[in-house]
Amino acid sequence: MQDPDLIAEGFNLMLLGMGFVFMFLTVLVIATTLMSKTINRFFPSPEEAVQAGISGKPAAQLPSDKNPEIIAVISAALHLHRQRKQ
Amino acid sequence: MDKVLMLWENSGLYNLSLLQTIMIAICLGLLYLAIAKKFEPLLLLPIGFAGVLANVPEAGLALSAMDQALYHFNPQTMQALAGELNITLAGAAEAADKALIKDALAAIDDPAQKARVAQIISAAGYTDGFLYIFYSVLVATGIAPLIIFLGVGAMTDFGPLLANPRTLFLGAAAQFGIFATVLGAVGLSALGIVDFSLEQAAAIGIIGGADGPTAIYVSSVLAPELLGAIAVAAYAYMALVPIVQPPIMRALTSKEERAIVMTQLRPVSKREKIIFPLAVLALVALFLPAAAPLLGMFCLGNLMRECGVVERLSDTAQNALINIVTIFLGLAVGSRLIGDLFLTVETLGIMVLGIVAFAIGTATGILMAKLMNKVSKMPINPLIGSAGVSAVPMAARVANKVGLEANPQNFLLMHAMGPNVAGVIGSAVAAGVMIMYLG
Repeated sequence: MQDPDLIAEGFNLMLLGMGFVFMFLTVLVIATTLMSKTINRFFPSPEEAVQAGISGKPAAQLPSDKNPEIIAVISAALHLHRQRKQ
Repeated sequence: MDKVLMLWENSGLYNLSLLQTIMIAICLGLLYLAIAKKFEPLLLLPIGFAGVLANVPEAGLALSAMDQALYHFNPQTMQALAGELNITLAGAAEAADKALIKDALAAIDDPAQKARVAQIISAAGYTDGFLYIFYSVLVATGIAPLIIFLGVGAMTDFGPLLANPRTLFLGAAAQFGIFATVLGAVGLSALGIVDFSLEQAAAIGIIGGADGPTAIYVSSVLAPELLGAIAVAAYAYMALVPIVQPPIMRALTSKEERAIVMTQLRPVSKREKIIFPLAVLALVALFLPAAAPLLGMFCLGNLMRECGVVERLSDTAQNALINIVTIFLGLAVGSRLIGDLFLTVETLGIMVLGIVAFAIGTATGILMAKLMNKVSKMPINPLIGSAGVSAVPMAARVANKVGLEANPQNFLLMHAMGPNVAGVIGSAVAAGVMIMYLG
């Protein structure tokens, strides 16, 4: 007697539930994207700026200062090491 | 000689019923799975052990005072109860009288009468078993799953999700398993194989969310009578993630798709991570208050982790507190592994439907990822869709492993963590919808 009703209810629950889950997470995607954009635009993270500062100058200068031979030797050693590992 | 006889009649061996023997065997099986096979040992070990305790004959550790009184069926107490309930006992057949009193007890509406009945029972010397107390304090109230959620929130890093918010869709798609299983469960009862109400069907479907605490929370609200079976199924299948998922993943994707390399995730600032739990909380408050208990605790835990000023609280929530609650949750769930609750056709149905829910969730997650890969500019490896069923971090590890098989240079773990934590949010939202619709 009740069975067709029960199935209809189950179907309703499925449509409503999936619809709601998708709607909620879509809103969350939009909210998150907006939030990230706003924050990165108006409050660029100080840590990143500092990191960029550190890695920007010295890291760029270091290789040119050092003897290119040393770099070549280190690269060769690394290469060998990796090959051995395989 | 009388004393020896009495001792024998009170022994466990004398009183052991067939149901209890089977249940103890099943619980020992759970212990074996936990210890030898490492199936979610943190939960299955206490659950299995509590299950053994709950089935110790005569001890009644998992019974309420009322159930114990009924079990022992002391004639004097029963007469007093019958007097209070205005029924007459035939006195001939114990079973018939028992059913009579049970029905009358279940029908009590008046709180004053309820209190008087409780008084009669406690005057007769019956008390709640300790496992029953754990159950009624921690699980029937929904407290334990909520505290676990606090800890899970404190352990969750939303970084990968924030770097690529679209992975939230994968977490949503994987929840289809939940609702498809609800339909399957009502279909089974329509066919007359088992008899599930819509509430019970919903509680069974949530197994497909592969999230233990959510499953326990939902079934404690919607179908407490099925809680033991649902919790065992949920945790057992979470342990089976590495076995169940890969064949589905391989069947639904080609080797080229599995080898897709995803672009490196952008770094996420601390501010974004702090605001995110608050944003989720705001949306829950606006759209789905029924999910507020689960997601509220989850967001609190995550805020404690990310804000960086309450490290001690965050540390407690993700270590000491969650461990303590896990022990009690296991004991409380184990107390539901009693023969007449567990050894039913329904349990078999739950086990079958649970794994179907899980498989469908995995499949829809992958299909959604394939679709997203087609429409978006950024390449998306379909494998990460399978991590949309929660089971953090197991599902993400499985996606990573299957990805590495196709392309040994391709590390999908961080990419898969996005849908993985999205799955936690998704299943909590699905739980909220069900509670709102049926509660």
